[in-house]
Amino acid sequence: MTLREEFSQWMTENFRGEYECLRGRATPGDEDAFPGKRLEWERELGKAGWIGVGWPKEYGGRGASLDDIVGFNEEYAAHGGPGRAGHIGETLLAPTIIAFGTEDQKAKYLPGIKAGTEFWCQGYSEPNAGSDLSNIKTKARLENGQWIIEGQKIWTSLAMDSDYIFVVARAEEGSVGRHGLVFLLVKLDQAGIEIRPIKQMSGTAEFNEVFFDGAVCEQEDIIGGVGEGWKIAMALLGFERGASTLGQQMTFADEFRQIVELAKKNGASQNPLIRQRIAKAYAGLKIMRFTALRTLEAAETGELTKEGYMSKIYWASWHRDLGELAMDVMGASAETLEDGEFNKLQKLFLFSRSDTIYGGTNQIQRNIIAERALGMPKEPRGGGTVIKG
Amino acid sequence: MAYPFTDDHDMIRDAARGFLQTWYDGGKGSERVYQSGTAFDGAAWQSFAKQLGMAGIAISEEHEGAGLGDLGRVVVMEELGASLCAIPFLTTCGIVTDIIQTAGEATAKNRYLKKIAAGELSAAYCDGHDAAAKVVSHVAHAAEADLIVLSGRGEGGIDYFAIPKGTAGLKITPEKTMDPTRSFAAVDWNDVAKGDLIPIGYGSEDQHEKLITQSFIALAAECVGGAQKCLDMTLEYAGQRVQFGRPIASFQAIKHRCADMFIDIEAARSAVYAAAMASPEEKTEAAIIAKAYATDAFFKVAGDAIQMHGGIGFTWDYPLHFFFKRARANRSMFGSSERDYDHLASHIFGDAS
Repeated sequence: MTLREEFSQWMTENFRGEYECLRGRATPGDEDAFPGKRLEWERELGKAGWIGVGWPKEYGGRGASLDDIVGFNEEYAAHGGPGRAGHIGETLLAPTIIAFGTEDQKAKYLPGIKAGTEFWCQGYSEPNAGSDLSNIKTKARLENGQWIIEGQKIWTSLAMDSDYIFVVARAEEGSVGRHGLVFLLVKLDQAGIEIRPIKQMSGTAEFNEVFFDGAVCEQEDIIGGVGEGWKIAMALLGFERGASTLGQQMTFADEFRQIVELAKKNGASQNPLIRQRIAKAYAGLKIMRFTALRTLEAAETGELTKEGYMSKIYWASWHRDLGELAMDVMGASAETLEDGEFNKLQKLFLFSRSDTIYGGTNQIQRNIIAERALGMPKEPRGGGTVIKG
Repeated sequence: MAYPFTDDHDMIRDAARGFLQTWYDGGKGSERVYQSGTAFDGAAWQSFAKQLGMAGIAISEEHEGAGLGDLGRVVVMEELGASLCAIPFLTTCGIVTDIIQTAGEATAKNRYLKKIAAGELSAAYCDGHDAAAKVVSHVAHAAEADLIVLSGRGEGGIDYFAIPKGTAGLKITPEKTMDPTRSFAAVDWNDVAKGDLIPIGYGSEDQHEKLITQSFIALAAECVGGAQKCLDMTLEYAGQRVQFGRPIASFQAIKHRCADMFIDIEAARSAVYAAAMASPEEKTEAAIIAKAYATDAFFKVAGDAIQMHGGIGFTWDYPLHFFFKRARANRSMFGSSERDYDHLASHIFGDAS
């Protein structure tokens, strides 16, 4: 039995009963759905060994191949599995700890991630470090064997459900940009940390502000050395090689199918312009899938290919367009709230406005494509002074 | 060698690219073809098909081809799109080859496939289904083709006939077209004796649709190659052209538009490769997506390329206009992308409008 088959069977047997309410839920924009159940579900996955399938066996993973990881993600989505509360720890931090962490860190942090009992969030962005991510102002200083952290992070996804945050902070006084940073592993439940949810236009609050006012972690709770924070932060982002995007695409396909069904039911399918947009959305789904396969297959053979650079802007724009299409298919009823709440498609419409912003805006993505995929000259950078009109 | 290609494909790509870049020579090849007024380069066809052996790329090994199927053809068509080389590869090695391989009788296969593979026979395809008057205009590559393959509705399906060039009564009237690098002609077989139409095979309507749709993939690959060339030219130009004391390639207005071109091209490329790799059950839908997406992308990218070249892009001397015209012509080649998307919608809604 392949890993995909084994997992599919496990999902059939376990994703039911008390977990039925989570089917297709907790996707972005719906992250407040059944928070307690979601965390329980993570523990079910962990107990059965379905967290960290791609990790090496020596760290409790299954050492699964890329094909198997793709299969795992696709099956999860095909069974309607809910948005994963633990994906930041599992797919971003854990590979970083495995690659750059100490043995003590591996022993301390990997088991909780693997068991689905400890959740992580990512402390990168700050009020003045958005697209210009290296403009980090949060400070960390070493005192009596502890790091003392002062500053603020923002747009921190799922901080409210997390136990830990990894923080990029400035450790060298007077340093600027990518220099002098440190990558810290910090427990959230402490006096020096306050989490404030940011209510979004979707009405929910996936994102948070995290304030550090004398927050602490131990001296050894850093990955890499002082001054290597940027390197570690970027390496972490590189671990998301796109295996999960295929699962994400199946979620997209579900949303697409829902819109098609609605159009059939309410007659929007007779509108020639809607038909064109539906067909284009469908073509976009197929294109996303094959683009991901190209990138994944090339990565398997160690080939450096460029099409991966388009992945973020393509899916984000596609998904935002899908939200707009959903509203147009709904017609006038798109404006009314049944039961006083946003329905799934209304949430899709609203939340997808963030898709083209978080994780690198479309504008930053175009810069990255132009500079890295096309070799065009870098944007001249301001010399640290703000130019006022 | 990057997925989905193999070393064989890479070898073919290198060989085709080497020859075609020399032929293209910064646009001189296209200009030469334009000056000739025939929209065809016979010498290039001889070299490409016969000496380089490219014509047999999708013909089975049994008939002395390379047996590389859709994916092999995609490799060649991308290079042809990048050079606009005026040869009848699309119809000879695409549509006609597929018709004979799929619907042809054994005699037709034996008679034609080996010759096509050897580069000794070029062919055009003429859809005569609704041609009660026995005249069809705008047939690609008919002007220079050694063989016209004609399809018509017969009893219970589609019949295919071959009409060799020089057949008594066959009238081929070349057309003047906006794109001067691909020939089109009207084919008139009113005066061809019935006995001179050589039957080569038959098939169902459904099979015919599949055959024609499969050739969309080759056209789409040509679009990807042409669009990539337009982007490459734009990047080169923008890197050299200095305004306001900087190469214009350093301005975000240019960079972002080039990034958008890249996205369009890579998305089209994915659609084309997916179609070439698709299983027979998924082939038709994938081919429709590839063609719709790639023809739209090529046209947009070619237009953007002209814009970013500024005035020079608008001149006849600069070869971009040939790509822009080909991009436009390809939007009409097998019907519009709007029609493709409507097909797709019918399939999605299950309401075949």
